[in-house]
Amino acid sequence: MAGEANAVEIVSRSSRLVRGALTGWAWVIYIFLFAPIVLLIMLSFNKNRYGTFPITGWTLHWFTGIASNPDLQSAIKTSLRVALEVTLISTVVGTAAAFSLVRSRLPFRGAFRIAFILPIMIPGVLIGVSLLTFLRQGLGIPLSIETVIIGQSVYTTPFVLLIVASRLEGFDRSLERAASDLGANWLRTFRYVVLPLIAPAVLAGALFAFTLSLDEFVITFFIIGPEVTLPIYIYTQIKFGITPAINAVATLLIITSLAITALGLLIPRLVRIPVRRVRTRRARKMQRAAPAASSSA
Amino acid sequence: MTASTTPASSGPRAVVGAPARRGSRVRRGVVTLSQYTGFAPAMVLFGLFFAAPMALIVAYSFWTQEGYKVVSDWTFANYQSVFNTPVYVNTFLVTLWMTAAATALTLAIAFPFSYWLARYVSRRWQRPLLFLVILPFWVSYLLRVTAWTIILGNNGALSRLLGVVGLSTPSWLLYDRPAVIFVLVYLYFPFAALTLFAALERFDWRQMHAAMDLGATHPRAVRTVMLPQIKPGITTAVIFVFIPILGEYLTPELVGGTRGVMIGNLVDNFFQEAQYAEGAAIAILIAAVVIILLLIFRRSLEVGETYGG
Repeated sequence: MAGEANAVEIVSRSSRLVRGALTGWAWVIYIFLFAPIVLLIMLSFNKNRYGTFPITGWTLHWFTGIASNPDLQSAIKTSLRVALEVTLISTVVGTAAAFSLVRSRLPFRGAFRIAFILPIMIPGVLIGVSLLTFLRQGLGIPLSIETVIIGQSVYTTPFVLLIVASRLEGFDRSLERAASDLGANWLRTFRYVVLPLIAPAVLAGALFAFTLSLDEFVITFFIIGPEVTLPIYIYTQIKFGITPAINAVATLLIITSLAITALGLLIPRLVRIPVRRVRTRRARKMQRAAPAASSSA
Repeated sequence: MTASTTPASSGPRAVVGAPARRGSRVRRGVVTLSQYTGFAPAMVLFGLFFAAPMALIVAYSFWTQEGYKVVSDWTFANYQSVFNTPVYVNTFLVTLWMTAAATALTLAIAFPFSYWLARYVSRRWQRPLLFLVILPFWVSYLLRVTAWTIILGNNGALSRLLGVVGLSTPSWLLYDRPAVIFVLVYLYFPFAALTLFAALERFDWRQMHAAMDLGATHPRAVRTVMLPQIKPGITTAVIFVFIPILGEYLTPELVGGTRGVMIGNLVDNFFQEAQYAEGAAIAILIAAVVIILLLIFRRSLEVGETYGG
């Protein structure tokens, strides 16, 4: 830190100018990033019937209006149901695959890793049209909520996999060995040692999958049946122009997504506390046991 | 690895006898088996609903369309038809051009930002400020595009703002290519900023100071000392921005108008009209560009990963 201050002194005024300009640029960027979102939220409280500017006054009317809109409510219900099932599938599948990826010494493990991450790398439009073709032409299955659940799971599972795998990579294997040395079978080891340690990552992955599913449009658009999810409903509405009701739903969706994200950030902290407590208790026990073990040896 | 460490750690117990050891071997066998089975659900999900559909699309692009059906007569006709239709070729080239422009612009505005975050912001504030950059990513993609139609649209926020100052809105600001590029830059900025910041965070700033002590100007020090070293990070950023933009169809549809059409919209149209074979051919062209890019930059991407640790 001191060295840097020194250098700044030497490099002088032009450097200070650069710094000032860059700080200004950063402000512009933050405004650029948040202006559209803030605007969208603002307009949902706007009295103006046309859902755009000017702002003619403030009202909660558009939010209360959601209660009397059956199409919208059914879209919300469908979205929640899809999101729950997608979360369940991708959490189980992603966590299981993460274990194999990190733990096994399978040949072509690198290839597996790339193959499982490919659904994130490939543009969504390709996943959408290929699934549409495969389901309709290949298998002859009618499009429905189930096809949407499958399509979204293909996209969300790699994220769960990445999150859980990164946690497993930083996992101290000696804890497991200690448990099995102390006589725990693998099921008990998993239940009492592994699961509590990876639980924060699994939860974070699940919440991430839930948010992604709730917002997913690109793939869903191609494989949606007669029932629509919320983003698809919003899309069909804005094709005819923006309405204040859509702004209100948008605001609700934004708040929900951000709330879930905040929860995802908080949960690891909340969960880690009891784990740490268990760990220290266990460590104390081990310490107490250690002198006895060394004396017997 | 386990085999070499376990005997050492259970050294004192080994005296107890063989049965315990055999038990642990069986147990290890079960654990190993369970480790392999972990792949099974993922193989089913990705094999059946990702790999198989992709394979089918590849096949469709070489099969023959008959009415609303595709039959397995192998042909190059779909590709020929695509390449012989000037509108499609033109859209493909325009898409490449727009994607390149949007990627360049995204990196150009992200670099000074990431530079500022990595160099001038104290460690305590770096994480929260970076989090703020990623935050819009959690706001629905559809809604972020929609928000821009409100700002840029007819009678939108911008035209009103300009109207107050006494200017009229330039026509290219909505329903044209610049509008599409602008919104794409907005959508993919977080990817670029995040990747570039990760690269700059590992950069040794003393080298910049050294270069400037030796008389290099600030831009020159950045160009000759810093850029070569963060090249893997730049490559990764380019890949992460270019590839998803290449497949965009929603943004051009909502803010692009007729002139802002991209290749993703063509694919969308073909499949909506059940022209599966030709649609597949265009989809495969997109996939081909993606795969070529990944192959070309594979090495730098790998280097990027090793740097990332």
